[in-house]
Amino acid sequence: MSITEKSAPSKVTDPISIRSRKMPVLLGSLALFSVVVFIVLGPSGTATFRISQPSDVWQVPNLVLPAKAMGVLVSVICVGLAYLAWSQTQKTGKIAKWVVMTFAVVFVVGLMVWIIGGTTTQNITLVGLFTGAMLITTPLVFGSMSGVLSERSGVVNIAIEGQLLAGAFTAALVASITHNAFAGLFAAALAGVLVSLLLALFSIKYVVNQIIVGVVLNVLVSGLTGFLFEKIMKTKVDGVTIYNQPAHLPNLPIPLLSEIPIIGPTLFRQSIIGYFMLILVAALWFGLFRTRWGLRVRAVGEHPKAADTVGINVNRTRVLNVLAGGAVAGVGGAYFTLVAVSSFSKDMTGGLGFIALAALIFGRWNPIGAALAALLFGVAGNLQSILSLAGTPIDGQFLAMLPYALTILAVSGFVGKAMAPAADGEPYIKE
Amino acid sequence: MKEAQSSSTSDFVPNLNTMASAGCNMTITVGFLLAEATTTAAKDNPKLHYAIIDDNSIKAPNVKPVVYDTAQAAFMAGYTSAAVSKTGKVGTFGGINLPTVTVFMDGFAEGVKYFNDKQGKDVQLLGWNTETQQGLFTNNFNVIQDGAKFTNNLIAEGADVVMPVAGPLGKGAGDAILAANKGGKDVKLVWVDSDGFLTAPTYKSVLLTSVIKTMGEAVETIIKDDLDGKFDPAPYIGTLENGGVALAPFHDLDSTVSADTKSQLDEIKKGIIDGSIKVESKSSPK
Repeated sequence: MSITEKSAPSKVTDPISIRSRKMPVLLGSLALFSVVVFIVLGPSGTATFRISQPSDVWQVPNLVLPAKAMGVLVSVICVGLAYLAWSQTQKTGKIAKWVVMTFAVVFVVGLMVWIIGGTTTQNITLVGLFTGAMLITTPLVFGSMSGVLSERSGVVNIAIEGQLLAGAFTAALVASITHNAFAGLFAAALAGVLVSLLLALFSIKYVVNQIIVGVVLNVLVSGLTGFLFEKIMKTKVDGVTIYNQPAHLPNLPIPLLSEIPIIGPTLFRQSIIGYFMLILVAALWFGLFRTRWGLRVRAVGEHPKAADTVGINVNRTRVLNVLAGGAVAGVGGAYFTLVAVSSFSKDMTGGLGFIALAALIFGRWNPIGAALAALLFGVAGNLQSILSLAGTPIDGQFLAMLPYALTILAVSGFVGKAMAPAADGEPYIKE
Repeated sequence: MKEAQSSSTSDFVPNLNTMASAGCNMTITVGFLLAEATTTAAKDNPKLHYAIIDDNSIKAPNVKPVVYDTAQAAFMAGYTSAAVSKTGKVGTFGGINLPTVTVFMDGFAEGVKYFNDKQGKDVQLLGWNTETQQGLFTNNFNVIQDGAKFTNNLIAEGADVVMPVAGPLGKGAGDAILAANKGGKDVKLVWVDSDGFLTAPTYKSVLLTSVIKTMGEAVETIIKDDLDGKFDPAPYIGTLENGGVALAPFHDLDSTVSADTKSQLDEIKKGIIDGSIKVESKSSPK
């Protein structure tokens, strides 16, 4: 045998079945889009991004980008990367990860410059975009972490909305009665656990269809909190609704870190719930993928029978995870009434629990992915408001739709593969 | 007397049927979403009387529409806001782009414009464009922190008077303003529908004024007329003239509004009532 024969790459008999050309075609058409839209239809003038708030210690000058020139630059990079992706597919059948990532980032930058250059003021606040987004992102992250906990162990959690709402209500009520925000926070976690207890009882013990139980729990919590809101919280004593005036959790800026442009105001001027969120995401990621506990949870979620065979108590693991998820979502609910605003109102979670579910799927059941997806949804939501203020010609309803369109793309497997834990939603009955 | 609250559109017809079978001579439905259900109920029960608030689309002998030309009071609020603004920018946002919401924003915009014309100033309105009928909308009426978010965005663009037209989201706006003022800003709030000084006392310290619909009095008159056998299906339109809409007192912030502005507001009120000042809104009830 000669050496050349040994090192020769094994021939692929049918390259089309292996080489997916979906990605290069997608990148190619996006690059073409950028050439046509950013250069030919691109606005003249500049796009200004305000990075500092007037109250900041360090004033960073505004980022002023010439729209036309940026359009040309972005288009050239996009075309180059699309070509690179094409040739990589031809040669190896795979595209390097950085190519797609860089393409996405550059394209989004180009899109932003194009949109903002097209507004009447040509000027938006970047720091306001992110700080405002956190008002929605924070409960979304908690909701999706609740989902990660229970779905990784194989229990579908549709009841996130109910857990958030129960948390929001209980936090407002208890914090009003005790005049102590921390008591409210603790009670909110407990309320989330209670909702979870019902979910666990029916879906694990009585093996009822998990999706149906989740939906029913959402309706139950919505009805119950709505009823108690009318009966208790609207009661006035001396003309004041004393049961709906929760104590507030103050913002605790971290010295130095809170002065970093954009990141500081967004992440390091939060309440204790916000910091807990950062720790939780990191801890859950580490716990799930780097510890024995995580391995067991994932085993139960992927292949409960195998897990049972090696001596893991499948249903106990599931119950504990669902309960922990409830506590997490309850704390997220407390954010509504103890931090974001200062009172409870009927159905105030407004479907964010379902969007947390979408973030969970978009983030592929990974804590960090889900948190980033939640951030994306939050930013996209606030972008709509900021762009209408800047006077964009794009319809606000269209912008509001974007994150959900993205989710559908993600779920349909267009942006990589979204794979649920194999035993997600399937009850385990020991034979 | 019977009372029912619909939690979804599918509750409308059953609730109205309950009212009819309970023998209610007079049923009052609130909100234009109930128009279709009310029309059906009125047709099925020609002997019973109905009144519908915030809708003027029904023409039936036993239905009395009750609508408000809120633009008139919002005009005065817009004028006041423009007069007290120090940054030269005032802002508004709505819940959903619906006539009952945008009628406030139209009136507010007209008031700001009138101030600019009369006083030779250039106060800008953020969040609403009367010509394109486009502006800032949260697209919901229940996620309160969206109110805070939108208010923060308005403040970031320099607005120092904010009028939220989004139901409970007004509380989010109030919270955002209280927080911003703690951080050294001087932002004021304009409440809508009721006098916020009484219904949202938490925000007393920042509450400039309110654009009021006096729903109670109108409804009381209609019921009294009905009991006296004087029911008539001609629409009731609440205006500054009949007191159906009004600008609330300035309460705690009375000192921030100058005496000049106050006397000008009196003139404006007279002008709107006698028709010398026209308040134009596409959403005003005709």
